Amino acid sequence: MFKVEMEGKTRLFTRSAYPSHYGERKIGDYREWLPSRSKLASIILKGYVPGIKRDTRLLYLGAATGTTASHVSDIVDGGVIYAVEYSAKPFQKFLRLAMERKNIIPIFADAGNPERYSGIVEKVDFIYQDIAQRNQVGIFVRNFEFFGKSGAEGIICVKAKSIDSTADPDEIYRKVIESLESRFEIMEWNELEPYHRDHIFISVRWKG
Amino acid sequence: MEYRLWFGKFVNDRFEKADDLRKSFSESCNSAPLPFSVSDIGKEIFGDDYYRILRRVAIEVAEEHVERELKREDRYVISLVRTLDEIANTANLLDERLRELKEIKNSQLVEMFEEKLIELKSLRGDIEKEIEDVMRKIAPNLSEIVGEKIGARLLEKAGSLEKLANYPSSTIQVIGAEKSLFKALSRIRKGKKAKVPKHGVIFQHPFIKTLPKKKRGKMARFMANKIAIAAKIDYFRGELDESLSEEVWRRYEQLSRS
Ligand SMILES: C[S@@+](CC[C@H](N)C(=O)[O-])C[C@H]1O[C@@H](n2cnc3c(N)ncnc32)[C@H](O)[C@@H]1O
Repeated sequence: MFKVEMEGKTRLFTRSAYPSHYGERKIGDYREWLPSRSKLASIILKGYVPGIKRDTRLLYLGAATGTTASHVSDIVDGGVIYAVEYSAKPFQKFLRLAMERKNIIPIFADAGNPERYSGIVEKVDFIYQDIAQRNQVGIFVRNFEFFGKSGAEGIICVKAKSIDSTADPDEIYRKVIESLESRFEIMEWNELEPYHRDHIFISVRWKG
Repeated sequence: MEYRLWFGKFVNDRFEKADDLRKSFSESCNSAPLPFSVSDIGKEIFGDDYYRILRRVAIEVAEEHVERELKREDRYVISLVRTLDEIANTANLLDERLRELKEIKNSQLVEMFEEKLIELKSLRGDIEKEIEDVMRKIAPNLSEIVGEKIGARLLEKAGSLEKLANYPSSTIQVIGAEKSLFKALSRIRKGKKAKVPKHGVIFQHPFIKTLPKKKRGKMARFMANKIAIAAKIDYFRGELDESLSEEVWRRYEQLSRS
């Protein structure tokens, strides 16, 4: 992962032997990682560095078409990504990425039913979740119960509107963080402004 | 004790390797977390080839599964919407029968009938929930703009997501108003006066319903436009584009203020 001052802005790149996946530009061996397209990129550009390393084993919930997962795949080139997505259309595009990359295991399933892939996914170091669902906190916790190594880290992206479309976002965030506290140590949280409105990320460490 | 892994299973501590990996991959379901890491066992069996084989099987299974799913999901929603209608109709008819029966005699059988009828009605809630879940998945943009319910109704009237995605917005605007459109047209053909209906199913949406009458047509046209785009994105890409629903919000705020 590389931050570069370029064209008057801080830009993020990952080193990649693979071609562009979602229209991002490629300069030499580096693919630009766009914060407008990827919440994880905006998290990093806001100054937080998640514990995702070269050899990390990671479970990714809500892979969609693989915009973010493609960069994570660049980073963990000695590790593995188990990527779960339940919507067929975006998953089709994601499959093309999975065929190209040696470290992605695609799983077409509902992240709310970790039972269904419990015999596939190994115990992991990191769980990343971006699924914008009302019960997303419960889903996050269940996946840690199934797959989190003790002390595993995770990031959950929360979209206020999908939890409750009428309540005050700050109130929602407070409640979400509170509900995470019994099972996780909260390491950091922040809004994703100016890249994504009404979203926060919360970075956690599993107590289990 | 039985543990099902993607490449075989443990039955009472004895491991049986699967012959058909795709089958065992699809069936590797366990109700509780495994007390070990799957890959530790797998590497003993496949050695350095573990991830290569896992990846190959995962991709093969996923391809097949996605293919099947794509063909099925919109038909599932459509059939559920129709089922919901039928249950509503049937429940109404049965309600009448029940009332009649109760007036005549309060037997045990009549009580049982009443219970079953309540169950049938509660099934409606379950079906609605399922419709919402599937709609979010197969038509996230449509759901975001008009809600899962109206979205599902549009889908049902169109017959498939593909058809809906190919409708011009003028058609989408009057989906569900076919009957009154028909009437109006035949009156006009006979040389009589008639109002052409401006809105069909989407008229139920609060963004239209809550506007003053004069502005409803404008809002319906705007929404139909965005719905047409949403259906196309849902059909071709299936990814949520939040700017669409924001535009609809903004337009609504504009119209309700001015
Ligand atoms: C905001 S998108 C994720 C974008 C992606 N993380 C990226 O940055 O490239 C959310 C995705 O989560 C998926 N999703 C929502 N609920 C899910 C669930 N219960 N199981 C699996 N996937 C889910 C949606 O289908 C959608 O593709």
